[in-house]
Amino acid sequence: MMTIGDNLLDLFLFAVTPYIALTVFFLGTIIRYRKYGFSYSSLSSQFLENRHHFWGLIPFHYGILTVFLGHLIGFLVPRDLLWWNSHPLRLYIFEVSGLVAAMLTIVGLVSMIMRRLTDPKIRVVTSTADWILLGILTLEIVSGTFVAIFHSWGSSWFASTASPYLRSIFTLSPDITFMVAMPWLVKFHIVGAFVILAAFPFTRLVHILVVPNQYLWRKPQVVRWYGKKAFLHKAV
Amino acid sequence: MIRTSTPLRGILAACLLGGWSATTRAQDPAADFRQNCMSCHTIGGGRLTGPDLKNVDQRKDRDWLTRFIMDPRAVIDSGDPYAQELLKDARNAVMPTLPGMTRARATALLDLIGAESKLEKSQFAGVQISDRPFTPEDIERGRLMFLGRVPLARGGPSCIACHTTNGVGALGGGTLAPDLTTVFERYEGRKTLSTWLTAPATPTMQAVFRQAPLESDEILALVAYFQSTLQRSPDDVATSRLNFVLLGLGGTIVVLGLFDVIWRGRLKSVRRMLVHRNGSENTHG
Repeated sequence: MMTIGDNLLDLFLFAVTPYIALTVFFLGTIIRYRKYGFSYSSLSSQFLENRHHFWGLIPFHYGILTVFLGHLIGFLVPRDLLWWNSHPLRLYIFEVSGLVAAMLTIVGLVSMIMRRLTDPKIRVVTSTADWILLGILTLEIVSGTFVAIFHSWGSSWFASTASPYLRSIFTLSPDITFMVAMPWLVKFHIVGAFVILAAFPFTRLVHILVVPNQYLWRKPQVVRWYGKKAFLHKAV
Repeated sequence: MIRTSTPLRGILAACLLGGWSATTRAQDPAADFRQNCMSCHTIGGGRLTGPDLKNVDQRKDRDWLTRFIMDPRAVIDSGDPYAQELLKDARNAVMPTLPGMTRARATALLDLIGAESKLEKSQFAGVQISDRPFTPEDIERGRLMFLGRVPLARGGPSCIACHTTNGVGALGGGTLAPDLTTVFERYEGRKTLSTWLTAPATPTMQAVFRQAPLESDEILALVAYFQSTLQRSPDDVATSRLNFVLLGLGGTIVVLGLFDVIWRGRLKSVRRMLVHRNGSENTHG
């Protein structure tokens, strides 16, 4: 069963790592905002290439936002989620929706990686931090999808194990007993989330904090050609 | 891009220490026993996974007991004959080393066990379960509790979250934990399974149910249900899993198709249309 070594490792991964991640996240985002405020964005490369861009951007963002919302529901209102899941059909609806969102995220992520690898213009504007981020996001999303498939039904057990564990982190009395006996894939996925949190301030993920929500309700902007034909000649 | 400043290092260190101390801080021994020991031990209620601890200090001395609580595996591995005997009685279930166990905490627990042993009925004597014959209503109620249709009284999660049995539904039950179709047989029948469910001893079940234990009538219904599933063979998990993946893939293709339809005109066309128009004017001119 458990040995002292495992115990210490679990203690480190689930009682120490989250605090390191949270500290790096808060200090990093604040310092970056104060020192390099104008770097708070995710530089668009749509202008350089917009055919493959769509199949990365759209499935990825709709997928990841849905997946994130699912996790947030499990964390914030676990009782209500368990109530919803109390009929097998409703449980299956929730789980299949989550799986669809996860697969959309993977489609988007693969398109994004392929686009950045194959298009020379896009490759130039891809930083090392972008590559690292794409790598950890891939590991996180693929591991999460495998958890959903091989350790079902995550939406229900998340609400009664991961949710109280995460709460214990925020109340500063980490209770790792929920985590110690989890399969390694689940542990990997949870620690992966802490890694992403810590990487947040050093990558383009910061754009999450400055999402231009007003895009949803502002008036559409009309794009017009400037001048007669001159621009095209110069641009090409 | 961002250098680690001295105050940042200080805060990191504080967080590290905070993480450690929070898991190892002292707590009330009765609460400690309830949370960490009660799932396997009673005091005067007979054995569960582990032995009844009533008057345990008359069986072994304090020093041995403290060493065992602090690291059961080490005492067993040292070849100690009494520890080997305990292991055999527990059917090879090794007592876990509790995170943050200290000598002081072990002593407090042993003091508590000593005091509770002197009482006529300890608060840790365990749950008593009726041994009346099962009825079809018990089986049905157990099935509905397994599925979550009937919620558990103390708010514990339903079994389907992590377990499956034969005939749960199209996509089966959970696969995080073992299939329970034949659990009745594996746990050698009604009495052992009922006792086990009063205080589940596996680490995850223990963590989840220590604050929301099953009531005795719930245990009766669930055990009745598990006896009824014994007559069927376990479902093929691979088929349920494949169906789940296929549903996911199908849904993904449908949504991608929807994206293509919804955004065909919006994202793809504006600039390209302008370029195209300008280009064609160019060739004419």
